[in-house]
Amino acid sequence: MAAGKVKYEPQIYPGKDETSERRRKLWDKRRKLAKYREISDDDITRLLGHRAVGALYPSVHPPLEELIEPYDPIKNLVVPTPGARAGDRIRFVQFADSFWHPPIAPYGRLRLYFNRLRGIDVVAYSGRCILEMRERDLEAAMKMLLETEIFNPARTALKGITIHGHSLRLDEDGLMFDARRRYILDKASGEVVYIKDQMGRVLDNPVPVGRPLSEEECRKLDLAYTWDTHPFKSRTEVLEIISRAAKLRVLAGFNPELLTEEM
Amino acid sequence: MKVETRKGTVDLYDDLGNCVASEIPLRALSPLYNPYMREVLDLFKRLAVIDLGKLENLMKKGMAGWETAVGQDENKMPWYGRDLPLVDRAKEITERIREKVERHGDGEQLVEGAGRYIIVKVPRRMMEISASRDPALTWTSVALCQAVAETFNLTPETDPDGCNMLKGAVFGRYPQSPEFSPGGPVSTFLKQSNTVDGLGSGFKAIMVNHLVALCNKRTLDGVALATILEQAAQWEMGNALGWFERYQLLGSAYQGFNAHNLVLDLVKENREGTIGDVAYSVVRRALEDGVIKVKKTLPSGYKVYSTSDYSLWNAYTCAAVLAAVIVNVGASRAAQSVSTVLGYFGDLLLMETGGLPDPDAGRVEGTGQGFAFYTHSIYGGAGPGAYTLDHVIPRHGSGFVGPCIVAGMCLDSGTQLFSPEMTSASYFKIREKLPLLHDPLKKVAEAAERIKGEVKRE
Repeated sequence: MAAGKVKYEPQIYPGKDETSERRRKLWDKRRKLAKYREISDDDITRLLGHRAVGALYPSVHPPLEELIEPYDPIKNLVVPTPGARAGDRIRFVQFADSFWHPPIAPYGRLRLYFNRLRGIDVVAYSGRCILEMRERDLEAAMKMLLETEIFNPARTALKGITIHGHSLRLDEDGLMFDARRRYILDKASGEVVYIKDQMGRVLDNPVPVGRPLSEEECRKLDLAYTWDTHPFKSRTEVLEIISRAAKLRVLAGFNPELLTEEM
Repeated sequence: MKVETRKGTVDLYDDLGNCVASEIPLRALSPLYNPYMREVLDLFKRLAVIDLGKLENLMKKGMAGWETAVGQDENKMPWYGRDLPLVDRAKEITERIREKVERHGDGEQLVEGAGRYIIVKVPRRMMEISASRDPALTWTSVALCQAVAETFNLTPETDPDGCNMLKGAVFGRYPQSPEFSPGGPVSTFLKQSNTVDGLGSGFKAIMVNHLVALCNKRTLDGVALATILEQAAQWEMGNALGWFERYQLLGSAYQGFNAHNLVLDLVKENREGTIGDVAYSVVRRALEDGVIKVKKTLPSGYKVYSTSDYSLWNAYTCAAVLAAVIVNVGASRAAQSVSTVLGYFGDLLLMETGGLPDPDAGRVEGTGQGFAFYTHSIYGGAGPGAYTLDHVIPRHGSGFVGPCIVAGMCLDSGTQLFSPEMTSASYFKIREKLPLLHDPLKKVAEAAERIKGEVKRE
């Protein structure tokens, strides 16, 4: 976004408390996310399970440069992503986020993707959020999704299918329930290890994704208002904005001329 | 540039950013007054297309009366098959149809051959006395059957089964089933009227991909064409009267006809940006243009905005949601994400402005979320291009959703199963014979420029 004539900085989200601040940080692309771990490109490819490590990217259409398209100035204006340019397939990743102090939640993911990623397709549901992109763009985005503060190996999980479990209590190792048992806690290393890819297919080489965050860290990074961190009633500004939005939507939808500057 | 909100006029720009018409009163952009829109709408009602190649194939294989949109092959009666060289004798068939149709015309060319296709327009005289727009389908089907029967001498005496086969191939199971077979040899731009539900939804009864093909995948032309149809439907269903007139006209001017170059500016500014960037750009632009202003500042420093002209703010947000679709789909060149942008873009605006209503007072968001649900693996569903604008999923709202879907499909580079080339191949071909539909964005503006002296300012 270019600088303009008036003094304006995106404010992203209301609220003075830490949870509001946490949301503002995640959704503001000007702010860098803290890096917690490193996961190799090959391991990311393995976890996604869309292509073999080292294999070429299959394509759905020829590279854009070779396509003969009818003239359209808009197509020359918007810059395509590397994956689009190459004609990659559309591939997906799906994350499930636990109820128990997760660093991000499905709806929060959606806004984070909207602000930080280009060329995305995303839908959020109660406990899951799917992200579809051109294949190499997706792999590039995975770096941020797995290596930074928005991933807690114990309470966020890659679940391409059989997503159930986000609202269940954690297991004896503190991990989110997974009916396909894609990940386990390696007690020797203290890290969570994926023994299956996101589709539940057994991996030849298990992929470690780092240690689970401590309870204290979980609470600090929590995106949600909860009774034991920041209770519902503490979000005064957020509530004010939400109720104003609801009221104005109803009034404006009923008769656009009803809205005044004083409202 | 400063927007003249109170004067009630807009400047219109083409997709290259050139000003085509200036100081246009809003009323000149209403389908009730804009002569170009009236011509387009008239064409959409009166036109039908015959696919002789398809009919030839059906007659040869004895196929008729199918009810599946994709398979189309559940009834095969090769024993009734007739090998009629329809495409080879297209010229003769065209002449015979012309003879029957044009005799009631006013001198305008109504029947035109285009290879294996024949384009038929129903005479105005017929449309005027018609209670509906059905003659496009009925006249064309009857004229076609008569012309084929004459050309190949099919009568109950010479070939009774051939007559039945012909009727079955053209009319399907009609009238036992109220609908002609989907994808049959005679098609109209708009869906058969007895299959459209919702009063005044007739002009929305066209598939997104057909519009994409009719504008040859030129994004803002597709948006303009979709807007003409959507807004005509809004008037027809009574949703653009009184309280909503200015709201509809401003919304369609800014989103559909690139008023004040807003859509193009937002896209240019964020050509390498994200969906979120477009939301923040439009808030900045609205502030600069005086459409919104800071009402108060909360203790955290968060600013709450208000507007004295909600209809104009709505027009800005509708333009922005289109720009966001263009920026996101333009980046991935994959249309499936249209619904996502429609469904969640509004939230960014709500949280950025402190609750000022998002596009179409939340209707775009609501429609978008339902649309996302049904176009993603969460519930299976189709590609966005295969929907008609009056379909029960994307139909809601005030005509600001359809143009975004069309824009998305124009920008797709071949990731869709239901691509325009697959569902609407004939429309690319027909388009060449319909110069009226070339450059709609420019022509709307030029027509508005012509009549701006005559229509009253708001």
